[in-house]
Amino acid sequence: MNSRFALTNSLFAACLALMGPFCVATESQTDSGAKVNPRLEGELIYKRQCADCHGAAGEGVNGAYERSLVGDSSIGELTKLISETMPEGEPEACTAEDAQAVADYIHYAFYSPAAQVRNRPPKVVLTHLTSDQLRQSLSDLYAHFSEIAAVSETRGLHGLYFDGERWKEDKKKIERDDATINFDFGHDGPGDGINGKQFYIYWEGGLEIQETGRYQIIVESSCSFNLKLGHAERMLIDNHVQSGDKTVFNEPVELTGGRVYPIRLELRQRERKTEQPPAKIVLRWIPPGGVETVIPARNLRSGWAPNAYSLQTHLPPDDRSYGYDRGISINRQWDDAVTAAALEFAQITVSEIWPTYQRQHRKDKTDNRTKLRDFLVELIEVAFRGKLDDEQKSAYVDQFLMTTDDDSEAIKRVVLVALKSPWFLYPSLGELQNASATAANRLALVMYDSLPSDDWLLHRVGKGQLANEAQIRETATRMLTDYRARYKIRTMLHAWLNLQHLTDIRKDESQFNGFEPELVADLKASLNAALDDVVWSDGSDYRKFFTRDWVYTNNRIAAFYGDCYKRADELATTDLSPSVGDPEHRFGIMTHPFLMSGLAYHDSTSPIHRGVFLTRYVFGRTLRPPNEAFTPFSPDLHPDLTTRDRVSLQTGAEACQACHSRINGLGFILENYDAVGRFREQEKAKPINAAGTYVSADGETIELEGPHSLASYLIDSDDARRAFVNRAFQHFVKQPIEAFGVDASQRLMQKFVESQFNIQTLIVEIAVISATNPSILEGQGT
Amino acid sequence: MISFPTRRDFLVRSGISLAASNFLVGLPSFASASASTSPKKRIVFVFSPNGVIPDHFWPDPADEAMSLKRILQPLESVKSKLLTIHGMCNQIQGDGDGHMRGIGCLLTGIELFPGDIQGGSDTPAGWSMGISLDQYLRNQMQAAPETQTRFGSLEFGVMVPERADTWTRMSYAGANQPVAPIDNPYQMFDKLYGQTKNRELLASVLDGLGDEFRKAEQLISADDRRILQDHLQMVRQIEQELQREMSQKPKDLGHAIPELPPNIEEQNDNMPQLTRMQMDLMVSSFASDFARVASFQITNSVGGAKMRWLGIDEGHHELSHEPDSNESAYENLIKINTWYCEQVAYLANRLAATPEPDGNGSMLDNTTIVWTNELGKGNSHTRDNIPFVLVGGGLGFKTGRAVDYKRVPHNRLLMTLAAAIGYPQDSFGNPDFCGDGVLTGLS
Repeated sequence: MNSRFALTNSLFAACLALMGPFCVATESQTDSGAKVNPRLEGELIYKRQCADCHGAAGEGVNGAYERSLVGDSSIGELTKLISETMPEGEPEACTAEDAQAVADYIHYAFYSPAAQVRNRPPKVVLTHLTSDQLRQSLSDLYAHFSEIAAVSETRGLHGLYFDGERWKEDKKKIERDDATINFDFGHDGPGDGINGKQFYIYWEGGLEIQETGRYQIIVESSCSFNLKLGHAERMLIDNHVQSGDKTVFNEPVELTGGRVYPIRLELRQRERKTEQPPAKIVLRWIPPGGVETVIPARNLRSGWAPNAYSLQTHLPPDDRSYGYDRGISINRQWDDAVTAAALEFAQITVSEIWPTYQRQHRKDKTDNRTKLRDFLVELIEVAFRGKLDDEQKSAYVDQFLMTTDDDSEAIKRVVLVALKSPWFLYPSLGELQNASATAANRLALVMYDSLPSDDWLLHRVGKGQLANEAQIRETATRMLTDYRARYKIRTMLHAWLNLQHLTDIRKDESQFNGFEPELVADLKASLNAALDDVVWSDGSDYRKFFTRDWVYTNNRIAAFYGDCYKRADELATTDLSPSVGDPEHRFGIMTHPFLMSGLAYHDSTSPIHRGVFLTRYVFGRTLRPPNEAFTPFSPDLHPDLTTRDRVSLQTGAEACQACHSRINGLGFILENYDAVGRFREQEKAKPINAAGTYVSADGETIELEGPHSLASYLIDSDDARRAFVNRAFQHFVKQPIEAFGVDASQRLMQKFVESQFNIQTLIVEIAVISATNPSILEGQGT
Repeated sequence: MISFPTRRDFLVRSGISLAASNFLVGLPSFASASASTSPKKRIVFVFSPNGVIPDHFWPDPADEAMSLKRILQPLESVKSKLLTIHGMCNQIQGDGDGHMRGIGCLLTGIELFPGDIQGGSDTPAGWSMGISLDQYLRNQMQAAPETQTRFGSLEFGVMVPERADTWTRMSYAGANQPVAPIDNPYQMFDKLYGQTKNRELLASVLDGLGDEFRKAEQLISADDRRILQDHLQMVRQIEQELQREMSQKPKDLGHAIPELPPNIEEQNDNMPQLTRMQMDLMVSSFASDFARVASFQITNSVGGAKMRWLGIDEGHHELSHEPDSNESAYENLIKINTWYCEQVAYLANRLAATPEPDGNGSMLDNTTIVWTNELGKGNSHTRDNIPFVLVGGGLGFKTGRAVDYKRVPHNRLLMTLAAAIGYPQDSFGNPDFCGDGVLTGLS
């Protein structure tokens, strides 16, 4: 299957029809009718002429029109559509005022988003931990007995270089931060005062993980070395013996996003009578879905990092039917994965957490069993997000301690039963015990997808210091400065831009020579850096997403994309640094080459991909799957047509145009960016036509031309702001925003506007809304 | 039902000639009958370090009664199954010191790679250039359905240092691929029974979980109760499955899961207990047919166990360097080696006391223990006349005697063992030492 065909199917399956059964014309005009009660009139007409096929409440009829009538078109758009196309086969039977009355009625009764809210008031539902939440919760349960890495701006690993083959303080010759580990010392050794025949280097630091998944850690070295990751005793690669010509060592490991794993690398060049290979060491990795590269400085944190845990058990994906992960599905696969995760964690509790606790409490004058009981109670209280009563202590701890003298066995049982318990798996169940504990639980879920485990936070819970909105807001603000929150914000931005679907980007070699996987990895890193930078720079201003005239770049990006991608500071040596400005051709992330090349075919642009992306993700408009798939025309069949003309030709039929005038209208605006995101003035010797339109949710038609006008419009677009705010809420809270009050979305929008579109403020306010919402347990049961 | 002790008995009583029997293997009923009655062949390589005191070790080949000297005395009870092979010399040259080549070439019969591990006064070295006999046999057995087992081979250790180097590895899956022995009995237990044990653990906690779900249900609305009820139903279903599984389990495993004494730390003074635990696990794993090849590495080459339980405070390796004239050291080395022999005897006796699950005699009848060492004698560091003490049966060797090959490359013994188990080779390890073929006169 060629890549064009593959793209085609996914594209058309995803985006063809705009508004359910209707093919809606682009212009809309609502003209209030003259009828006294048009809605009532509309109801009568609907029942007479429409309900047979669409169902009494628009729910659909098997064998006729099966989809329910829901969408976000305006009454005017609906009127036009009904007038022109309905009832099927005799559209003249319902026109003008009648059509408008029907539109008015269905819009109010069931079609519009507002009607859906009215009809089925969304509520917060009981959910279990999602896979991410389970993974993060276990990491924090571990961290409770260790520590959480503080956010640090140091980059690279801290290196200590010794003359001689072991650590000897008086033989330490070099101490410095190394941005990356990529050295070829040859026979001369690493520096002055160090005998190249016999030396020892110790590198220490943290490995910051920005994407959860399976990593291949690769060390290439001609010397004896060992690599520890996650814990001082957790050996990942042990090459104590340099043997023969084996120099490349590779180990897979699952790592969790938002975590910093301590990493220790020791290299030893041993003197010997025989020929000594030149000393070399390179620390590389293959991140999930990425390419092999030297681990970049941006992922390395120099200096000491606390021990950290990463679940190795594979967890199944969660339900995403609402567009965000929710823990609502109970099935065997999930349950088995939870069991496997609990057993894995039980093992790490035996081998690492309990020994750590014993060391921390070695001066306590209690006997081993009392200590073990205290340890297990503390562990479960963190897992259950609240204090245990005596009955629970007996059920979860004492009975297992009594039945076995084997500490490991007792720990395993207690951990297994605790992590399989509903009190751990369903975070809401612990609420009502105490208001501050509930608020902390919600905050940890929202900010970290985890449970409260940090000492300072638990201290506040203990003191009842999360009892009012101001305290909660202050706490949420403090929680922002944390790798876990940074990770969650970045995953939210990825969801906003639908980046998880932009994988395996490849281009036609004859046209785009040099567009290699390594370049794509750089572009992805450049986009991530831009996203982080906007969130964490002064003002945390959402509008900067659309206005920046520079990008993060490096030499490889500049070599491919040309002068406008040169580093602003030509002497910069970091893996990525700001480029020169290009106010004519560059407008923030919407024109970023990673996005532009991802939203394109291998040999040409795809205005349809770009249009659908803008419509659905950036403006947050509803798009439904099409009724059938189409194959786009091949450029070869129309060698003289520009992409715009070709797409227009294919989608020119009236049936297509109704939707595609909107999709294409947005996609064409970005036609200045070719299939790899390079700015172009012409295509096939014809000037680029980047004119287009957008019809807003409230029916206004906006004429746009070129990326500059799009960027200017996005800054002020209510639709785009609302899409961003709603996406953020869904991602952080994982419940429908309407469940937090009919005006929750509006209030949040207002706060966003008042804060000058401050993203950090938005997230804190989302956390506050979540943490102050009544419990689902209130008024229930006992 | 009539049972036939061996395949041969079956053939004789069925009136089928040996030649004709080869044509019958394709017939399902005959094939399975012969497979179930052909005895298993197992082999265990036990390693103890630093050479022996030859005068108190080797029985006199001329002595038909095979009088055992002090060190081998503990094997008296299994003397009829004992075979000592003198004259095996590890002649592999190249990089690495004597201890490194002693262990690294012991079961591989081939040189070490050049590398950076410097020991003694020789050249530095890396890992072995070839596969070891245990791993070779494992691969052969795993390649055929009738000899395939869950693990193929198991690598046990006792107090092996937490250090991967040439002195701590005897077993190799291939060139540059040392296999780390598992010296923590709890870790070995997890490997052998972890899954089963985890299922048991789960079964033991599920009942209590049901109550927790019912308590939780009372807290929430009817709408939200649904998800908890579905979850509880899942818990119940798994509980029932586990109950069925647990009731069938003993039959599947062939025996109950062994119980280990709890909380035994990996410390020098716990060596006797750790050795027992590991040997018990080995016997259990054989009874379940988890593997037919095993290695059992006590400490490492140059191992420095301090046998305080024998009243010896010095480390073994340190003592082994003392000249024979140091009487106390000499005496202590005899005691240390006797203790190692007691461990071999324990294993042999446990195997002798355990019937084969298929009724073919005792497990020792079908298991050959090969007790060996990286050196012939400690203070001379010689790799001539390295100990090869075989205990058990199943390989067709004539036992209850001491043999002496004077001075031949030990590669020939490796070839002989491979052939006796059923996988003859033209050479094993470096072919230069295999020219004279398998040893004759053992059967």
